[in-house]
Amino acid sequence: MSGALPGDLERASVRVDEEPAVQVAPLGPPLTRAEWIRRNLFSTWFNGSLTVLSGALVLFLGFHFLRFVFVTADWSVFRANLRVYMVGRFPLEHIWRVWAVTFFLAGLIGVSRGVLTPARWTRRRLLVVSPAAALGVGAALYLVRSALVWTLMGVAAATYVAGVAAGRRLGRRLVRPLLVGWLLAFPFVVVVLSFGDVGADRWGGLLLNVIVAVAVIALSFPLGILLALGRQSSLPAISWFCVGFIELIRGVPLLTLLIFGRFVLILLLPPGVAFAQIVRAIFMFTLFSSAYVAEIVRGGLQGVPEGQYEAARALGLSTTRTLALVALPQALRTTIPPMIGHFISVFKDTSLLAALSFSELLFTARRASQAFEFIGHQAEALLPAALLFWMIAFAMSRWSQRVETRVGVGER
Amino acid sequence: MSDAQPSRAGDDTMILAEDVEKWFGHFQALNGITTSVRRGEVVVVMGPSGSGKSTFIRTLNRLERHDRGRIVVDGIELSDDIRNIERIRSEIGMVFQSFNLFPHLTVVDNITLAPRNVRRWPKATAADKAMQLLERVGIPEQAKKYPAQLSGGQQQRVAIARALAMEPRIMLFDEPTSALDPEMIKEVLDVMEELAGSGMTMVVITHEIGFAREAGDRVLFFDAGRLVEEAPPDVFFTSPQTERAQLFLSQIL
Repeated sequence: MSGALPGDLERASVRVDEEPAVQVAPLGPPLTRAEWIRRNLFSTWFNGSLTVLSGALVLFLGFHFLRFVFVTADWSVFRANLRVYMVGRFPLEHIWRVWAVTFFLAGLIGVSRGVLTPARWTRRRLLVVSPAAALGVGAALYLVRSALVWTLMGVAAATYVAGVAAGRRLGRRLVRPLLVGWLLAFPFVVVVLSFGDVGADRWGGLLLNVIVAVAVIALSFPLGILLALGRQSSLPAISWFCVGFIELIRGVPLLTLLIFGRFVLILLLPPGVAFAQIVRAIFMFTLFSSAYVAEIVRGGLQGVPEGQYEAARALGLSTTRTLALVALPQALRTTIPPMIGHFISVFKDTSLLAALSFSELLFTARRASQAFEFIGHQAEALLPAALLFWMIAFAMSRWSQRVETRVGVGER
Repeated sequence: MSDAQPSRAGDDTMILAEDVEKWFGHFQALNGITTSVRRGEVVVVMGPSGSGKSTFIRTLNRLERHDRGRIVVDGIELSDDIRNIERIRSEIGMVFQSFNLFPHLTVVDNITLAPRNVRRWPKATAADKAMQLLERVGIPEQAKKYPAQLSGGQQQRVAIARALAMEPRIMLFDEPTSALDPEMIKEVLDVMEELAGSGMTMVVITHEIGFAREAGDRVLFFDAGRLVEEAPPDVFFTSPQTERAQLFLSQIL
C-alpha cells in the first residue's frame, strides 16, 4: 500500500487543481414541482405503481376515518361520560379540588416553559400548533355543554399563558422557586385531592392514571438508581440482594405483581396495618418499575469510561462523591431516551389497573361502552381513551427530546 | 501492612519505594523497584511499552495496589487504610494521557470540583483559585466552556490546572503529551517546564527527550518490570550503561 501511495497522492493533487476529487451532485436550479414528483415518486415503473397504490390506500383509509369521525360516529357516549373519563366517580360537590389542581399545574407548567424555552415562533411550529389548537378548542366546544366548564377551561388556559409570559419575563431567577414548586407539587396535589372526606379510593378516570404514573415514576427513579448502585457494590450481600431483586421482579409480569399486591400483600402485612387498594397497587408497580430503572441506569454507568473514575479518585474524591458528582450525572444524561421511554411505558401500563377493577381511564371507557343506551358505539367509547393516552405519551416524548437537547451541551 | 509511619530516609524524601512488586495474575508488572524522589526533584520515567513505568507511577497514588514492598509518600506509608489513601491522593496531582476531564462540567467546574468537595473551600475561593490557575496555564478565556469545546492541548492544560487546584506537593504525569497532535505538544510541555522551575516535585512518564534534558533531574529507565538504569539526563542520553537502554534510545532518538 505504501508503495502505491505517492502516485495516488500525486494524481489526487493534480485533480484537486481542476475540480474536487469527490464528485458532488450538481446544485442546479431548484427542481420544479412537476420535476420533483417525477424524480422522487415516478422514477421507474415499479416506483410509479407503488406510489399510485400507496396513495390510493392512504386516500381510502383517510376518507373512511374522516367519514367515521365527522359523519358516521355518534360521540354522545363520550360526551355524556366526559367527566367520568376525566375523574371517574370523583364526587361532584368536591370537583372544585380537581379544578384547583388544574389551575395550579397549568400555572406551574406555563412558568416552567417560559423559563426554559425562549420565545421562538417559527412559521413551521405555528403551522403545526395552530390547527392542533383549533381542533382541541373545536372538540371542547362540541363535547362540553356547560358554560361554567368552558369558563373554567378558559381560566386554566389563561393561567398557562400568563405563566409562560411571567416565566419569560423573570427568566432564570425563577429556576430555584420552580424546582421547589415541582418537588412540592405532587404532595400538594395529593393532599388537595384527598383531604377531608374524599379518599384516594374516589379517584378515577384519567386523573387516576396520571396520579399513579407520577407516583410510580417519582418513587421508582431514586429507588432504581439505588438498586443500580447496589448492584455494583463491593459488598456481596448488597450486590446479591440487588441482583436477586431485579431479576425476580423483571421475570414476573406486571399484572401478576399487581394481583399479588391486591390479594397476597395484605396477608404479609402485620394485622391491623392496612393501606388503600391504590397504595398497594402503587407499591407493587413501583417495585416493578424500579427494577427496569436500575437496569437502564446500570447501562448508563457502564458507558462512563474507567478514566473518569480514575481521575476522580486521583483527586481524592471518595467513592460516594465519585458516583454522585462524576459517574451518575454522566450516566443519567446518556440514559434520558431509554428512561423516558420506560416512563411512557409506565404511564400506558397504568391501564392494567382496569384488570383489578380500578376505575381508571380504560376501565371507565369500557364501562361506558357497555351502558344500554350506547350499545353498538364501542369504538366511540374507546377511541377517546386511546387518544387521551396518546396525547400524554406524545407530550412526554416531545418533552424528552427537549430535555435531551438542553443537557446535551458539552457532550463528547 | 504496617501503620502509617514517617519515612526514615530524612525530611527531604517525598517518595520512597522499597522493593515494590506488583502482579497482574501471573504477570509480574513490577519487580523489586527501589528508588526515592527528593523534594523539588523532577524525575523522568522512560521505557518501552509494557515495561511497568505506568504501573509504577499508578502505585504511587494507589490507583494500583502494590503487592509487596513498601511505598512512603510524604511521610505516609501507603496501606489499605482508605482514609490514608484519600488523604495522600489529595496531596498528589495526576495528569493522564487521555486527559480524563469531566465532560459534563465546565472548565472552571472541573477545576473547582475537588477543592470544594474534598477541601471544603467556599465556592468563591475555589473559583478564584481556578482562574489563577487558568491564567498560569494560559487559557483564562476558556473558563466557561465545556471540555469537548477545547483542543487537546487546551484540555491537557485544564487537566494540569485541575490537578494543581488541590495544591498538591507532588505531580504525576502519565504520558501527558502522547495523545496530542504535534503542534500542541509544546504548549503542554511549556506549562510543565514552568511547573518544574517553580520547585514542584514531579514524576513524569514521557518520551520527550527535550523536556527530559531541559527540566529533568534524573531519568529512571524501566524494562520488563525492573528499574534497569537510573542516571542524570545528560549521562543517560549520551552514555547509557545498559544494553537495553542503548537499544531503546537508538529507537527513539
